[in-house]
Amino acid sequence: MSSKINGHVSPQPCPHLLDFRSRNGPKPFRALHDCIRVKPPGGCAAIRREPSEVPRCGTCEESSRSRLYACVACAAVFCHAPLLHSHASDHALSIPGHEIAVDVDRAELFCCACGDQVYDRDFDAAVVLAQTVNATATTSTSGSTAMQCSVAGSQPENLRKRRRVDYRPWEPDSGEHISRGNQSIPLLDATNASLVSSTQQPWGLRGLNNLGNTCFMNSILQALLHTPPLRNYFLGDRHNRYYCQQKNGAINGTKNSRLCLACDMDAIFSAVFSGDRTPYSPAKFLYSWWQHAANLASYEQQDAHEFFISMLEGIHEKVEKDKRKSQSPGGGDCCIAHRVFSGILRSDVMCMVCGFTSTTYDPCVDISLDLEPNQGGSGKSSSAKSLNSCNVEADCMHPNQNGGISTLNGCLERFTRAEKLGSDQKFFCQKCQVRQESLKQMSIRKLPLVSCFHVKRFEHSSIRKMSRKVDRFLQFPFSLDMAPYLSSSILRSRFGNRIFPFDGDEQDASNDLSTEFELFAVVTHSGRLDAGHYVTYLRLSNQWYKCDDAWITQVNESIVRAAQGYMMFYVQKVLYYKESENQGTS
Amino acid sequence: MSRPPPPPPTTNKDQQHQNPSLQEINIKLIQSGEKERLKELLRERLLECGWIDEMKALCRAFTRKKGRNNVTVDDLVHVISPKGRASVPNSVKAELLQRIRAFLASTAD
Repeated sequence: MSSKINGHVSPQPCPHLLDFRSRNGPKPFRALHDCIRVKPPGGCAAIRREPSEVPRCGTCEESSRSRLYACVACAAVFCHAPLLHSHASDHALSIPGHEIAVDVDRAELFCCACGDQVYDRDFDAAVVLAQTVNATATTSTSGSTAMQCSVAGSQPENLRKRRRVDYRPWEPDSGEHISRGNQSIPLLDATNASLVSSTQQPWGLRGLNNLGNTCFMNSILQALLHTPPLRNYFLGDRHNRYYCQQKNGAINGTKNSRLCLACDMDAIFSAVFSGDRTPYSPAKFLYSWWQHAANLASYEQQDAHEFFISMLEGIHEKVEKDKRKSQSPGGGDCCIAHRVFSGILRSDVMCMVCGFTSTTYDPCVDISLDLEPNQGGSGKSSSAKSLNSCNVEADCMHPNQNGGISTLNGCLERFTRAEKLGSDQKFFCQKCQVRQESLKQMSIRKLPLVSCFHVKRFEHSSIRKMSRKVDRFLQFPFSLDMAPYLSSSILRSRFGNRIFPFDGDEQDASNDLSTEFELFAVVTHSGRLDAGHYVTYLRLSNQWYKCDDAWITQVNESIVRAAQGYMMFYVQKVLYYKESENQGTS
Repeated sequence: MSRPPPPPPTTNKDQQHQNPSLQEINIKLIQSGEKERLKELLRERLLECGWIDEMKALCRAFTRKKGRNNVTVDDLVHVISPKGRASVPNSVKAELLQRIRAFLASTAD
């Protein structure tokens, strides 16, 4: 009984609804629009002729039954409790044309003859619009976040954890223990002194020398060296630098090695994972990157985030232009950089006058988040737009809801909150054919393998001709569930069970890859904007290591929690292996 | 064994003040907005304890069995109502009852 219209699944109307429409025109529920009332605190929509009306069944005077329906044709209210009695059904069957009714407490259309819900796009749009307007008009003083009228989104984390089976790391049983020891040598063996230091540090930990204010590069490199899918790609010889250079040297006919950032990455991976613990100088890589990003080639301190974006671009560009692979970053098939980091963001812009929504999808390799502006701060921040990363205008003046501490989840919640576009940013509505005030909401359509969150700590104000750094502390979790920020969750909490045009395949996000992420690297910045230092913290074998240029030290996790996060790297939990801490012991 | 005499029947006037009917309570709750707050509280509690997820699962199972196109809202309500009513945790019932009592006490004439 359902059909696809332009890719949207909607149930076929029942014969009574069809009949009703044929008699009252294609938009027969217009009269109800004025009766839509949105009730605090939950923001649920109800139908009332007057705001204080108490609906009663016309037959039995009951007002406390849970389902009361108002006949759309004659506005009479009846109760509906099919097991006991249904005065609504009685009414429907007694007068032809009076089968369609509306649930007065839920604002849902119902056919009393069929005993089932029916849907009208126009009506649902009006309900959603009313809820939206209500939600953005009221400042949320109660704990509920804006745009949530149903319980669907309020506390998914608790319930998800309850329902899933807990992750249990594998432990070898006695038989496996024996076969492990048989004919195999533990990698980190104290007798193999040449390969490992006595402190038994994990593989791939090697300091990087500072070549002159290059801590911005070192910090990002350290994070990338331990990004699981990227590490696996390079260590798995998926980009062999010798082969690549040979092949491209032959094509170009030049003896000089062709510029390829991926080859240089391959070289760094080999060096860092070689087992040699002396600090390494990534000079070749720096030189290559200078050639790629000529405008940034200097010994001045650069922004680590800018470097990150530029590097990913560099890997993307220099990838062998294979005609079979698509070039669009959204698909993630173009290069390893996008395969690992590229996700898809969805942007919905809704006209506040007619409800028409325009949806666009954009790929992104990271998410830039605003910290809340300080009370009485310097107004809007407009950070420089970098390619392929998504920025959010600092528009909200909502006070912090967590009692003073900014959290990553708070930033993400703000990122996906519906924002009213200012009157100077009116959006052209295709239905109204004029510029109208609009509501914009971001959500994540597709999660990347690795989520990089960039905290916008550097504000560049072109108006005041100055830049400043925001030192405000941001709390970030070690485990992160991105489910509430997915398009499916955001849309579900916006629309509830309305039939409304959105892509059919948004609905089953639970079938996709997991939404659970684990933190594995944090790039921190300390000091001032013009005189600062980048340091990266890495999480290996559930231990934290501080990578400060050439010096690597083990640190307690509390140090990491207290650090000033600038970029946080999370990998999908399924790709994150919690190695046992005692490697090599039987 | 003699039983004490039954209490005298209360007059209509007393009845109204001592035992408000369900209708009257309902109207008071609606008009003060307390009913909406109670509904919201109930939603939250039922979500926390997994009741909503359970009902969803029941609906899904039933729909799968009967076929997506052969199920109506009334069918679903009929199927899950008994189990739903029975599985509301006592703590939730107690909390809501307490809230309602407190409300009635605070608004008693």
